[in-house]
Amino acid sequence: MTNKLTIAGKQLSSRLFLGTGRYPNPYVQNKAIEVSEAEVLTFAIRRVNLSAPDEDAILQHIEKPFQYLPNTSGATSAEEAIRIARLAKASGLSDWIKIEVSQDEKMLIPDPIETLKATEILANEGFIVLPYTSDDPALCYRLQEAGASAVMPGGSPIGTGLGILNPYNIERITEKLTVPVIVDAGLGSAADVTQAMELGADGVLLNTAIAKARNPVMMAEAVKHAIHAGRLSYSAGRISKKKYATASSPIQS
Amino acid sequence: MARITIIGGGVIGLSIAFECQRRGHNVTVVEAQQCGGQASGAAAGMLAPYSEIEEDPDDFFRLCQKSLQIFPEWQEEVKRHSDIDFEYNESGSLYCIYHEADLLSLETKQAWQRKFNVESTILSAKEVRVKEPGLSRDVVAALWCPEESHIYAPGYVAALLQACRNLGVHVIENVGDATLDGYAVITKQERIDSDQVVLAAGAWSMYWEKELGCTLPVYPIRGQICAYEAPPLNHIVFTSQGYLVAKANGSVVVGASEDIADFDTNVTEHGIGRLEKWSKKVMPVLEKMDPFHKWAGLRPATQDGFPLIGKLIKKPEVILATGHYRNGILLSPITAKIVADEIDQVPQQIAIGQFRPDRFQAI
Repeated sequence: MTNKLTIAGKQLSSRLFLGTGRYPNPYVQNKAIEVSEAEVLTFAIRRVNLSAPDEDAILQHIEKPFQYLPNTSGATSAEEAIRIARLAKASGLSDWIKIEVSQDEKMLIPDPIETLKATEILANEGFIVLPYTSDDPALCYRLQEAGASAVMPGGSPIGTGLGILNPYNIERITEKLTVPVIVDAGLGSAADVTQAMELGADGVLLNTAIAKARNPVMMAEAVKHAIHAGRLSYSAGRISKKKYATASSPIQS
Repeated sequence: MARITIIGGGVIGLSIAFECQRRGHNVTVVEAQQCGGQASGAAAGMLAPYSEIEEDPDDFFRLCQKSLQIFPEWQEEVKRHSDIDFEYNESGSLYCIYHEADLLSLETKQAWQRKFNVESTILSAKEVRVKEPGLSRDVVAALWCPEESHIYAPGYVAALLQACRNLGVHVIENVGDATLDGYAVITKQERIDSDQVVLAAGAWSMYWEKELGCTLPVYPIRGQICAYEAPPLNHIVFTSQGYLVAKANGSVVVGASEDIADFDTNVTEHGIGRLEKWSKKVMPVLEKMDPFHKWAGLRPATQDGFPLIGKLIKKPEVILATGHYRNGILLSPITAKIVADEIDQVPQQIAIGQFRPDRFQAI
């Protein structure tokens, strides 16, 4: 097992993707990003000053070069997501794109049909496409076949902190896909992150869990360690679960 | 009647003094430099929590909403006791978006805020132009919040100071650094024996960590602002990149940056330049104008985004009221009432547990 995650030929040392929204202030945001050691940052294109990204209210605070993963959040159709993605690429921000399409203002559940459509079209246009999707193994497979460079199933709805509601599905997805699987959305703490990694995820994407923690910088550090612990545990291979006790010191006969 | 000494003569300290003195206490305010000289005087004075809080129906939102609701009566009282008038404008606000994709987030916000009886309407591009003809044609829609308002912050702070003096508050400016000795506040000039000390030190709160024995993660974040002499706007105008608000003195105030610059209060070319460029995209008439005034203040930001309000459990002689970040003007009346209720041992009307000042790590 290699320690590096590779997406579309780009090697990443960190398996953490970090959202830039909702931090209490830029000071805490920068510290949290620094401590997390994340190399990929995601943000909503609709919020960005595309005519001058380096003067954007949020992005201007980001100090060193990161791999940007702009997202199409707010799009309600494939057409809209595609339009937003093209705007982001034209501004020179990034040719990586996180597809996020939802028609549901309460649950923000990703729309499977529109997400698949947008993934196919943008991948064909040469974008590095990472769709955010629900945790349906069949759909995740279809997204991979449509040209996704990584697939990002949600653990639970965005910002809920409910963790991984269907670990069975996440494990089926990580088993089946050959492109990286990044568990996105709903993770609330270090334990959730470790679980995702133990289920075979190649990485995790977090925002609220860190930005809204009482101490975001400390939580960023906890998450960094949780990814490492979970990945090691997954690679080491856990014991099988048994119904009855087995003495850890064999009884001498 | 208690002897109350308040450290810090910003809008928070002065509001607490105003409230406590009116309740019959004997209040002294000590200010290191000049009252209202920092974040308070630099503020654009927006009373706009519905525009600014997008995601969370949490206790902070409730705190802001409560303060907005009591503001009309509060500012009347400040005017009455100071005999000074200042602008208080119930203009409402427009949160303008430049992408159709932002509509979903406006709808999400509108849906949860409705549960708190917040009145708001999503306006089409056409409707926006009727309400606010001077805005850019790139605005595709806006959320109109008629209940939001704004105040002329320097006027408000000056009136608060005068109201305090008229009521008999002892205001001492230019005292430099102060320290504590139990219930007494020690300055270079004198020792002020007190029954209760209130620390309202804003961006300088961190300097009190050792003295108070707890972590106070309050950081200075510089806010740069500029103002144009421009035709007025009918509403406060918000965008994802900043806000514009027109004042009765004929200025349009554009804010604000959020800079990590330690305690530096200078304006920078980048900071103001960014505001200038963006403001022209919001209000095209500004295209050929230059701002006539540029300034900056230090806002006290906190580690978790919530202010620090309440009594220290291990040092009950001290009440903290700091870390209001971008909301000091808005939160001044509710903070004053919470602190006065703590002192009077009256049950609080809203939940303040999330704002406990000793909620952070031990030293």
